[in-house]
Amino acid sequence: MTQTRSPAGIDLPHRARSPQRRVVGRLLRNPPALIGLGVVAAMILCAIFAPQLAPYAYDAQDLSIARQAPSPAHWFGTDDLGRDMLSRIIWGARSAVFVIVMVMIVNLGLGVPLGAAAGYFGGWVETVVMRAADILFAFPGLLFVFFIAATIKPAILTWAREAGWRDLANSGYLDYAVVIIALGVIGWAGLARMVRAQVLAVKEREYVIGAQAIGVPTWKIIARHILPNALAPVIVALSMGLGDIALSEGYLSFLGIGLQPPAPSWGNILSDNAGRYWRMFPQMIWMVWIPGLILAAVVFAFNFLGDGLNEALNPELVD
Amino acid sequence: MGAFLVRRLIWLPILLFFISLITFALGLYGPGDPVQVMMGLHANPETIERLRHEYGFDQPFYVQYLRYIGNALQGNFGYSLVKYRDQPVGKLIADALPATIQLNLLAIGLGVLIGVPLGLLAGLNRDSWLDLLVRAFVIAGISFPIIFLNPVLTFIFSRRHDLILPAANLAVSVGPILPMVQGRWEGLLSAKIILPALIESTGVIAIMTRQMRAGIIEVMNEDFIRTARAKGLRERLVIFRHALRNALIPIATILGLMLGGLVAGSFLVENWFGVPGVGALTFDALSSRDYYVVMAMVLLIAVAYVVSNLIVDLTYGYLDPRIRKQ
Amino acid sequence: MGTLLEVKDLRTEFHTQDGIVHAVNGVSFHVDEGETLGLVGESGCGKSVSMLSVMRLIPMPPGKIASGSVLFQGRDLVKVDDEEIRSVRGNKIAMVFQDPMTSLNPVLTINTQISEALELHLGMTKEQARKRAVELLKMVGIPEAEGRIDDYPHQFSGGMRQRVMIAMALSCSPQLLIADEPTTALDVTIQAQITDIVKRLKRELGMAIIWITHDLGVIAGLADRINVMYAGFVIESASNKELFANPLHPYTLGLLGSIPRLDEAHKAKLTPIEGLPPDLIEMPKGCPFHDRCAYRTDKCANENPALELGAVRHQVACWNWQDVQKLRATIKR
Repeated sequence: MTQTRSPAGIDLPHRARSPQRRVVGRLLRNPPALIGLGVVAAMILCAIFAPQLAPYAYDAQDLSIARQAPSPAHWFGTDDLGRDMLSRIIWGARSAVFVIVMVMIVNLGLGVPLGAAAGYFGGWVETVVMRAADILFAFPGLLFVFFIAATIKPAILTWAREAGWRDLANSGYLDYAVVIIALGVIGWAGLARMVRAQVLAVKEREYVIGAQAIGVPTWKIIARHILPNALAPVIVALSMGLGDIALSEGYLSFLGIGLQPPAPSWGNILSDNAGRYWRMFPQMIWMVWIPGLILAAVVFAFNFLGDGLNEALNPELVD
Repeated sequence: MGAFLVRRLIWLPILLFFISLITFALGLYGPGDPVQVMMGLHANPETIERLRHEYGFDQPFYVQYLRYIGNALQGNFGYSLVKYRDQPVGKLIADALPATIQLNLLAIGLGVLIGVPLGLLAGLNRDSWLDLLVRAFVIAGISFPIIFLNPVLTFIFSRRHDLILPAANLAVSVGPILPMVQGRWEGLLSAKIILPALIESTGVIAIMTRQMRAGIIEVMNEDFIRTARAKGLRERLVIFRHALRNALIPIATILGLMLGGLVAGSFLVENWFGVPGVGALTFDALSSRDYYVVMAMVLLIAVAYVVSNLIVDLTYGYLDPRIRKQ
Repeated sequence: MGTLLEVKDLRTEFHTQDGIVHAVNGVSFHVDEGETLGLVGESGCGKSVSMLSVMRLIPMPPGKIASGSVLFQGRDLVKVDDEEIRSVRGNKIAMVFQDPMTSLNPVLTINTQISEALELHLGMTKEQARKRAVELLKMVGIPEAEGRIDDYPHQFSGGMRQRVMIAMALSCSPQLLIADEPTTALDVTIQAQITDIVKRLKRELGMAIIWITHDLGVIAGLADRINVMYAGFVIESASNKELFANPLHPYTLGLLGSIPRLDEAHKAKLTPIEGLPPDLIEMPKGCPFHDRCAYRTDKCANENPALELGAVRHQVACWNWQDVQKLRATIKR
């Protein structure tokens, strides 16, 4: 796994305790990581229990109460169409969790096998996978995500209509597909590079060569001996990357390519409120900072968690 | 080193080929048909057919692609279809570049000037309250969405705030401290640039601080630092002569790569503040599906990325003597 | 000959997330002027940490010198201020480290790295220091020293780098040289060269040496006296000859048993010591070696023995060293 490096090269004795327990223990003794864990857990709970938690329907409009400041009836105020912001934000958690989980699955599903194959087999497999990753890296990050989302969206809509799924095309669900594809296609390259590097480092170890010598099938060697050892940095990178996914979803919605209202998303709440309405009613800054701080808190939380995992998985002497 | 360079130089055109192919397939050949975009949804189908033929959009993919590349190699990146109708894309971008480059230069400069010392301090005082503060600051820098920072910082800095305290019979007015950009772009030496540059620099500061902190912590644990201390050197000398240079090598790399990003405007910032740069141009183009502009921008940024990578690899040897002689 | 360095009851700890690592647990020893002291033990036994504590080079935090004194030329190095300890480091006491590949700064020339100590402690100008650096490189046997002085560390081989390290350590003519496993990272043939250089320089310059190693074979030809360390304790201390002729501690016996000896290669097998060193965070109550020891009694599990005189100028920390001695005598016969 990761090489423990003591300060100034001093040899300290190895400790005989279960490594999993130690990682969890270190994580639980790290206050920022605990806060991060709490925020993420709260977000997931909101996502699961959105119908029970939200006081109003996320798309219930009432123009007579538009743009109200926070009050006992509407804790986070109301937006330009008189929709309850708290309800929209709670439902927004569901969109965020859904997008994050799906993008993560796409990233992992592409990045880990491709990276592992590149590292393990080398040769042309490595060349093809790594050059493809290079190409993706050369594309300008966010711009390319927007570009893909913008160009595949009409294609997907046309395809759905032609397949006779008119209802699906008109519902907001295809927006999710667009966001997930755009973010998923980009994100695997970094993971693949990381997994490949880890596999290269582990490949020459005695136990892997031993397994090869006694004829263990290749996929089993990769799955059982190599991947678990490559896991630590992947977990760290992933937990930090999840915040970026949440941000990118927000930016996509801001450009009008992501999730469209009335579907609730923190990105489109923020972009609606910060974009058009705030310019007209600048004194209503709370319309911006409430959804903004919540999105920031989630990105914060994933970063704290990633930092905490990093320190827990790569223990150094810390006072 | 020589073989490595040759491989890099061969790779460059291949990379550009794939990038242009993908962008072309997605943007111009694909669903965002330029003629459709140009004419709008309610155009006469016959007119569209005629225009498609006139522009050559009814020809096979490879013909269209080769023609596009052939033109691009001669500096002709097509014409804007929507907002700046019929203006050459090359000229649009060239006109917009100065504002973006000025903004980015200032943002990177601020990022280095603030991030490097901050990371150094935090790393040297690891786990102190200062370190915790800096780390929280770094995470904040990468966590606050730009679409949040834009209105909030604008609210704070470019509006007048009236503080009225009736009890103390006091009324104070503050600001606006910084002007919004609106109107003519006045370049580096004007107050207009400060707010957008500050927002753009939050990410740079975070990256620089994080790298510097991690770098100095790693270097301070190296054996040669112990050797330097064993000689009886003062801690200041240990840090500035022995540690700093080693820790700055990755900073220089990141900086080199960022220079490639100089030509990429931040569309969220530029659009919000009305900076007449390539970011705002791309934003408009994306929103209106003006794909000749978007394609040229993607290509420009990709070329800048690859070239800056190459330059970083070439200059690396000057920074790190271990690589110089290999 | 007078005493140069006297360490009394030194304790060094590291405060880690998993608990306090007791790396050095009340170590006392001395070094006479011009003497070579060998410090032997497995990795992690506290030999390096005790020497780094003498130089106050323990990273603090997490490290901490919990108690004890280090007397050097009438001063207690544990207590003096930073300014004073710096005037000793590299000047009166110098150190050579284990890994010459990582112990030299990769981005500075050899000249810079040798000269800085000369400029600092001896007040030389840049030109004087450079001249002296060339002499030092010649002294440690680096060919074409003038031409190589402006090279970077990566341009030297491992053995050559270790010579540079030695030149650097000896630049200010220290009274004590601490060599922390200086040959461990090198090829066997290079090891012998480095050992010979140190021996020769010691004859020429007359400094005292503390040579840290896990290899009794290396130390046999070098040291006047040998201290054996285990789990942060000195468990046996004797002159070189005495230790090899009459080892009293079961652990030392074990170490000797694990050295291949040409003269009895066909008679005795190599016998490794069973088990692992104790957890330095949760130290056992009794003798730290008891659960690996073939001679243990009930007392060993409960009380930790102190060093006591077992023979002339020969100290050992074991409750049963007399039994060990008797048993060994019968086996020999």
